[in-house]
Amino acid sequence: MSKIALIVASEKMDKLFPAVTLATTAAISGWEAEMFFTFWGLLALKKGYQPSGVTLDYKAYEGKLNEALASGSIPGWKTVLEQGLATGRIRIYACSTTLGMFNLKQEDLESFVDSIAGAATFLSKAKGADVSLFIS
Amino acid sequence: MRGCGMNADITIDAKFTSCPGPLIALADAVGKAQPGQVVKLLATDPAAPSDVKEWAAGVGHRLIATEKSGDVWELYIEVSG
Repeated sequence: MSKIALIVASEKMDKLFPAVTLATTAAISGWEAEMFFTFWGLLALKKGYQPSGVTLDYKAYEGKLNEALASGSIPGWKTVLEQGLATGRIRIYACSTTLGMFNLKQEDLESFVDSIAGAATFLSKAKGADVSLFIS
Repeated sequence: MRGCGMNADITIDAKFTSCPGPLIALADAVGKAQPGQVVKLLATDPAAPSDVKEWAAGVGHRLIATEKSGDVWELYIEVSG
């Protein structure tokens, strides 16, 4: 079975959207998807998190994205992720180091987070992936 | 095979949604359909024909027709058993 491994290191919309698009598309195509949320990416896993914009460098285009989201032509990142999670083929790991840095605990995170993990665990899960990306 | 006017058991309207919207809607419908049924996807996303073709080949369903009517793609997928 094919596999995609994604490291998500940003909590901004312009980074979360491609990450979940690839993971969900992989999952509905029968692939396994392993997602490791680290550094600022971890913040996206906090309960009830709503992304608050795009990366500063691309702020000028934020209005375009908001328009597309408002019109429904681009689905929300959480909606896309939930469609992928429903397949049971996406696993989500929260970086233990970042969790500590923000003084967060697993109960502060969404229930779809599979586990708290370190680098060695994620490497083991991601090993042999056909597609590997660091999204930051 | 001509697509226009082909019979479909289920029609999914994913016009004016961008990737991955059409594929998610299609995969959901195909997952609920019976083997042998034909699902028709309406999409305006220019990536839809290629995405659907690759997806269908990967998961084992058959893209039996691709048609375009104005700006709207009509993609017909036969659900495998």
